[in-house]
Amino acid sequence: MLPSFELLEPHSLDEALKMLATSEATPLAGGTNLLPDLRAHGRAGRRFISLAALDQLRGVEHKGNRVIMGGSTTLNDILRDPLMPKAAPSLVSMAKVFAGTMIRNAATIAGNICYGSPSADAIPPLLSVDAEVTLTSAAGERTLPLDSFLLGYKKTAHQPDELLKTVAWTIPAADSANLFYKLGRRRGDAITVVGVAVTVVIESGSCSKARIALGSVAPTVFRAKEAENILIGGPLTAATIDQAALTAAQASRPIDDIRASAEYRRHAVHMLVRRLLTQAWQTSGAKQHD
Amino acid sequence: MNRMENPLAGVKSEKFRQVGKPLIRTDSPTKVYGTAVYAGDLTMPGMLYAAVLHSERASALLRRVDTTRAKELPGVHCVLTAEDLPASQGVMTDMPGQTGGMTKNTKQPILAKDRVRFCGEPIALVAAESVAIAEQAIGLIDVDYQDIDGVYDPFDALAPGAPIVYGDDNVVASYKIRKGDIEKGFAEADVIVENTFTTQYQEQAFLEPEAALAWVDELEVLNIRSSTQVVEHYRAVADAIGLPHNRVRLRAEFVGGGFGGKEVMTIEVWLALLALASRRPVRLVQPRERSFLSHGPRHPFNITHRTGVTRDGKITALQISFTSDAGAYAKLSPYILLYATVGATGPYRVDNLHVDSVSAATNNLPACAFRGFGTMQANLACEGQMEEIAKTLGMDSMEVRRRNFIRTGDANATGQIIRSAVWSDQCATQALAALGKRPENSQTTRIGHGVACYQQSYGRILWMKDSSEAWVGVEMDGTVVVRSAVADIGGGQSSALAQITAEILGVPMKEVVVYFGDGAVTPLAGTSTASRALYMSGNATQMAATRVRENLLGCAGRHFSVEAEELDMNDSQVFVVGDPKRSMTINDCVKLCAAEGVHRHNLAIFKAPTSEGIDPETGQGEVFPDFTYGAHAAQVAVDIETGEVRVLQSIGAHDVGQAINLRAVEGQVEGSALMGQGFALCEELILEQGQLQTRSLSEYLIPTSEDVPKIKAIILESGSGLGPFGSKGIGEPVYAPVAASIANAVTDAIGVHIFELPITPEKIVKALRRKETVG
Repeated sequence: MLPSFELLEPHSLDEALKMLATSEATPLAGGTNLLPDLRAHGRAGRRFISLAALDQLRGVEHKGNRVIMGGSTTLNDILRDPLMPKAAPSLVSMAKVFAGTMIRNAATIAGNICYGSPSADAIPPLLSVDAEVTLTSAAGERTLPLDSFLLGYKKTAHQPDELLKTVAWTIPAADSANLFYKLGRRRGDAITVVGVAVTVVIESGSCSKARIALGSVAPTVFRAKEAENILIGGPLTAATIDQAALTAAQASRPIDDIRASAEYRRHAVHMLVRRLLTQAWQTSGAKQHD
Repeated sequence: MNRMENPLAGVKSEKFRQVGKPLIRTDSPTKVYGTAVYAGDLTMPGMLYAAVLHSERASALLRRVDTTRAKELPGVHCVLTAEDLPASQGVMTDMPGQTGGMTKNTKQPILAKDRVRFCGEPIALVAAESVAIAEQAIGLIDVDYQDIDGVYDPFDALAPGAPIVYGDDNVVASYKIRKGDIEKGFAEADVIVENTFTTQYQEQAFLEPEAALAWVDELEVLNIRSSTQVVEHYRAVADAIGLPHNRVRLRAEFVGGGFGGKEVMTIEVWLALLALASRRPVRLVQPRERSFLSHGPRHPFNITHRTGVTRDGKITALQISFTSDAGAYAKLSPYILLYATVGATGPYRVDNLHVDSVSAATNNLPACAFRGFGTMQANLACEGQMEEIAKTLGMDSMEVRRRNFIRTGDANATGQIIRSAVWSDQCATQALAALGKRPENSQTTRIGHGVACYQQSYGRILWMKDSSEAWVGVEMDGTVVVRSAVADIGGGQSSALAQITAEILGVPMKEVVVYFGDGAVTPLAGTSTASRALYMSGNATQMAATRVRENLLGCAGRHFSVEAEELDMNDSQVFVVGDPKRSMTINDCVKLCAAEGVHRHNLAIFKAPTSEGIDPETGQGEVFPDFTYGAHAAQVAVDIETGEVRVLQSIGAHDVGQAINLRAVEGQVEGSALMGQGFALCEELILEQGQLQTRSLSEYLIPTSEDVPKIKAIILESGSGLGPFGSKGIGEPVYAPVAASIANAVTDAIGVHIFELPITPEKIVKALRRKETVG
């Protein structure tokens, strides 16, 4: 049963930040993680701050080649944004398979990031486009790369008095590919077994930039940087791709749980990274020939 | 259509006006509009809310259960432990709803006393003024456990020196079949194929968890309104508490899914005790996490087949062993094992047969009834073995099946002669054909087609001596009432009775109201289990309606001076066939009856065939009234790199005898396709040392709407069933072959058989690796 809790309902961002500064409370957006947690093993009497009334935190702004997404933007908002398929293809692929429609209507991008779960589906795509997060508090704002925001298992740089205000990134270059795949035990409402996002940028027939971000295979979502480096500076041959995929698998630190074993997860990283890199190379290469 | 002689078909016409048509079910509008009332919606003035304390340990002594703090909490009216219970101390969990003798002592403590045998065993009950207070009180009960050695695997439980959970040796039940000459059969075989198949716990995962409301009324009758498949539990409640049977009234509300999980009593007796102790109405809706602990899931089975077969695919000998994990209490495990034993050979004729089956008690969750009731596990092994035999012989697996199908007039595993039509071949052929052409494989995707056939009984075990009563009457305005205590568990159980009655009395179906599910005021109909509701209550209703029709036509015949045989009824008119001018409305006909003092109603009882059991040494004898046959075919796509499986098509083809409501039959096929897909691919209750690891629906994975393949139902009608108008039971049968067809499709796709369900991506990857290594 859901234990009783206190819910503060600020009407403005300032009010919310004041509440966060003065009272020990957890920001509550869609509640799609916090409420099941509370029901499963929560204690009574916790305090939450509802972000429901803070409209300015929700929505996507496209400014030139920058995308600025409010923290309260829902997963289904991402699917409704007509520019998003160009702005972050992997994010759209992800949103399509994120839980199910009901959860997507409620779950927010900030919630998914700040909960800090290793299986947070929104994070691999955002890491693959080098997203930055802006945190705000009564004391001021700070911006840092998402990559350095993630610290460990359900551990982030988020401070108790802060709200994640925006996530922002630069639209990938034209001659690039940005892909995502979620491996789950069923198609709808699945907790991810392995999540992979990749970006490959091609310049003059060689790979100038690569991103490989992996979910559910380490204490936190992470970038397989050693594997990324293998790809830089040349064409992506089958051998290079396989070597990078294997390196990514080796960099994973998965656990055994009821969904899959660590051994399987490593294998799946190898297979999926190889597959996505191959596809990325082929599609971005195709764009070059256009 | 080849329609066989059916002595029970009461209506002269072969052509039905309403039966078989996809009419709107009587229960559909209220469910679609959201106005249907379920047990958890019920409220009463002064109602209290219950909560249950379940054991956190799988095997422990209860040194002390201290309820002092819980009782002191304001708002708590009543806290009950085993100390407070009546002397009987147990509730019967043998075959419910029966008057016949019990085969085993299957009493289970209502609340644990001195010892807990599984994690989840109920220890204490609370009734309080709110759910929150009741939950808080549960948290204030201090339980002092002392862990003792437990046993968590059925093979361990049967080994010498195992901790004893049940009886003297943990053997809950065992059966054997000795038929023909197995040595001779194996000697005649060209090859012998041996494989072991294992299945997992499956949770019913009904949308509606256990829910009920209980109170004592002004006549000192204990009332319970519940989500149950069995109205006759009122007797077990009365016996457990020490009340006379006529002082307990149980009403079955619309049920949001049962699948066997609401066959054995769940929460009713707890609420009865709380209502008696508090003298207030008390309601409980089990939270999902506790629902998992409040009914028995499907038994895990270990099944070995050793099959002797000739080069041309004829089975000459078959030796089968079954071991099932009963969990901590017997519940229905002996019967479920019997179903598996009878179903050991699937839809195949095997003249030389040995079966040895055993169900062992462990400190795991007590397993119980689940759609298929042991037959589907047996069937899964049978159908997997067909593929392995075919592979060994280099034959098409359908051809192997064809050479072994049981046929009308053949004896099944227990020597029972099959009297109804066996259309296994037609069903399998049509289902496979409906899959159409295989899509092309891609670099990493392999397409597979699979089929599975089955034999599944409908109706209860013959020595239960089953019967069902129904009452049909016509009101003075020509509208019709059916009274039957049948539990409507969502399969259209009550609606089918309306459709049958409408057909026989020639009134539109909307003119028929079915009052159902009341153990006190509607005639007892028996359980909505064992795919028997339509068979039994349909027949009783057909009998009652036919007699009412006879009475009405008798009066009309006298009025028109014709024989009753010359009359017919349709569109609420009674008329002389071929002479439409001589007709009257049903209202006028009913008034004639009333004036003549002729009954406008009838109470009928339908009695199923009976037997006195099977020979314990040979397992030979009649066990079931009849069987349903059919097939399911599946098309899957397997990702050979990640092991992911996508079911693309799922097609059920079944000889239903006669569809009563076509949409309802299709609904059963569609639901079974998803439930079987879950069993094949992703559903598994995982226990570690008796502790449930998959405690919620985010960990226990049933297929979602996103996982739904293209589903098709192909309905064949032999008219050979024992149900009304030649119908057969269909609720369980349609489910029986689904998982096997998907498993076989996966085998077809990847060229390697996975013998252990569920077929996870991980198992596929490992199997493919082994195949590569072995070459």
